[in-house]
Amino acid sequence: MAQALLVALDASNFMLALLLVTLGLVILFGLMNVINMAHGEMFLLGAYAVVLVQRYGGSFWLALALAPLALGVIGLVIEEVVIRHVYHRFIDTILATWGLSISLKQAVIIAFGPTAQQVHNPLPQTVEILGTLYPVYRLFIMAVAVLAAAGTFLLFYQTSLGLVARAVIANRPMAGSLGLNTRRMDRMTFAFGAALAGLAGAVMAPLMSVDPQMGVGFLIPAFLSILVGGTGTLLGTLLGTTLIAGAGTVVSSIWSQITAQIVVFALAIVVIRLFPQGLTGGSQER
Amino acid sequence: MLRIRGLVAGYEDGGRVLESIDLQVAAGESVALMGRNGMGKTTLLRAVMGLLRPVAGGVTFDGSDLTGRPPFEISNAGIAYVPQGREIFKDFTVEENLRLGLLGKTGMAARVPDAIYGRFPILAERRAQRAGTLSGGEQQQLAIARAVISRPRLLLLDEPSEGVQPSIVEAIAATVSAISREEGTSVLLVEQNLDLVLALTTRCLFIENGRVVAQSASARLADDSELLARYLAV
Repeated sequence: MAQALLVALDASNFMLALLLVTLGLVILFGLMNVINMAHGEMFLLGAYAVVLVQRYGGSFWLALALAPLALGVIGLVIEEVVIRHVYHRFIDTILATWGLSISLKQAVIIAFGPTAQQVHNPLPQTVEILGTLYPVYRLFIMAVAVLAAAGTFLLFYQTSLGLVARAVIANRPMAGSLGLNTRRMDRMTFAFGAALAGLAGAVMAPLMSVDPQMGVGFLIPAFLSILVGGTGTLLGTLLGTTLIAGAGTVVSSIWSQITAQIVVFALAIVVIRLFPQGLTGGSQER
Repeated sequence: MLRIRGLVAGYEDGGRVLESIDLQVAAGESVALMGRNGMGKTTLLRAVMGLLRPVAGGVTFDGSDLTGRPPFEISNAGIAYVPQGREIFKDFTVEENLRLGLLGKTGMAARVPDAIYGRFPILAERRAQRAGTLSGGEQQQLAIARAVISRPRLLLLDEPSEGVQPSIVEAIAATVSAISREEGTSVLLVEQNLDLVLALTTRCLFIENGRVVAQSASARLADDSELLARYLAV
């Protein structure tokens, strides 16, 4: 029983952390039709923002607030300098963002070196949940992910800005013809996606080895979640991350990490074979 | 007010549709654009709206050059567009569709004014309904309402009678001519339906192979069957 509870908590934790990473990715893909290969490096920069702030004596909480802001600004610059020029050239966006991912990773290596950095855990306590001891910081991550997801959902479905964003997703030429500033939506969306990646990296930093390779570990399951869940709605993202993270955590708790990887990939292949547009595919208006 | 000079445009793969279009629409004037299918009428409206980049020539509106500007700037200059096939947002409610006609406009309240529901009473009843569930005629009225809600000075209408039953076409004609008369909105109408052309416009241009080849007072079309046969019959 205690073991099952622990697995359930770990699965929820991984799922919510993955949701945080995937949200930014799916918004960029859905709204701008950009597959952002550099998303893992934005996550990475979020984590290194924490390292940097702590190096200059700032608290973790300050870093957590600054990281998404910094990534938002970096996102704006990247959009203006690189992405803006390759819209409508779908394959080129992959190539451009892949190049960007390599450059960002190398920049981090130059600035911080190739070795892992330590970020100390700001909430090292554990708490007892139904007889099982669980780290408080993991619960904090889950809360941040739930808040970020709920906030994103409200932003998209309850505000005028969200209505405009969804109109641009549904029919970009018509949205433009109605006077909606598609250019500004592109900028804001990219910055928002980057900020979410930065938040994810910063909040995960105390639990991970902060090194230049850390982005990849989340990027692959994030892409799998999108493929499995579909890109049409935020609900698809929720479904995809639940399935990928849930299956991964449960299998790895029973057998091994490697078996879990195999099961997750096999599952993804089966779902994609049966639902080529993802589980919620087809609901997207074209 | 709208002035198109030597406009050449086509599709991205290089196929030319508009060879050299010259036309003008004066303030408050309503002009029809007729011609067979594939002659470039829709392409012309899309080029004016900035959805297609012209190869040569230009579009000016009230003296300012709109050539090559993005659609949202052209819309904000005071040109509204009701495309062929309506292109309403099917998953959104009627009210949300109408709000989208306002949200991009600078200096406009984001609330849907009651006046628009006065002009299109059927939309008031359907306010909270998903736009995709409306009938063809209701969707057309929604597309027109969404375009005129921002009180544009020029309205581009592309085949508003398509797939709409005759009684609703009459209602649409009455509403659009009331708007045009009361608010001084100019209209550039692409249409095959002669009744609508007669009801809405004073002048009619015929387009063939990407050029304006003839024009006539709209009122004359009713008796001039030769003109219609030459440019419209297949």
